[in-house]
Amino acid sequence: MPAGERKRESNEPGCRLKDECREVLERTYLFLDGELLSVSERVEIEGHLEECRPCLERYGLEQELQSLLAKVKKKHVCPEGLRSKILNLLDQT
Amino acid sequence: MADASPVELTDVDKQRFRDEAIPLLDSLYAAALRMTRNPADAEDLIQETMLRAYRAFDRFEQGTNIRAWLFRIMTNAYINTYRKRQREPVKVPQDDVEEFDLYQELKNHDPQFSITPETIVLDSLFEADILTAIDELPEQFRLAVVLSDIEGFTYAEMAEIMGVPMGTVMSRLHRGRKALQKRLWHLASEKGIVKPGNKAGDDARRRAEAGEQ
Repeated sequence: MPAGERKRESNEPGCRLKDECREVLERTYLFLDGELLSVSERVEIEGHLEECRPCLERYGLEQELQSLLAKVKKKHVCPEGLRSKILNLLDQT
Repeated sequence: MADASPVELTDVDKQRFRDEAIPLLDSLYAAALRMTRNPADAEDLIQETMLRAYRAFDRFEQGTNIRAWLFRIMTNAYINTYRKRQREPVKVPQDDVEEFDLYQELKNHDPQFSITPETIVLDSLFEADILTAIDELPEQFRLAVVLSDIEGFTYAEMAEIMGVPMGTVMSRLHRGRKALQKRLWHLASEKGIVKPGNKAGDDARRRAEAGEQ
């Protein structure tokens, strides 16, 4: 898994996260996105989330944001006029 | 628009295209709206996408992911045609996007903040605000966020659709989400839903951090 592009210095100004938290949080995105992780990685992340409340809350926040965005999709359906226009186009093609 | 020569599809393939591609129009339309940011261009983009796909359907490998295939065609059509017509989106300053930390902002606002279904402040933002925030993202970030968080594609599918390596997908997605969170936070602040960075919150945070270490 290429992670180089996302790496950051842990001691940069304004950084309030411990290294361990940062590493776990970067991988929680994979977790949230349903990307494949090894069993040991999953166990490690779940273990950390169980004992680190700020990380658990950050995880919850990202989850909320994802479901907020997922709602956007359901709001816009293809207009009926466009659907029939396309079916007509296919018939003529 | 694609060339005007008659399409060379068997009747079986023609029917299969109708059965498999047409039901995906809702999904394609939702994404096209976010790509083009206006309904007229979205309709044009969808028409062009479906015509291109229909003409190329004999080269589509049956049994592979038709949704990802259609999205790749649409993304290419968008980049090659519609993007040139459009004005560049309002630029979100990107320099400090990586630094933005929504969780910390929420904690500053309310040191007692914790994640429960009732406390999510962003729920009070209207859907229009969320659409605005997405539409204001720079194009490459917007595309990554739309494909992942709205359309639910995997990183590998996104790499295929966007024609970039998976590491680039992940980087754009990460930065896109951060930029989106920052924009949502500012919208919430403008509406008075939250007051970012108040002093009480800062002090409480410093105390909390001192106590933790």
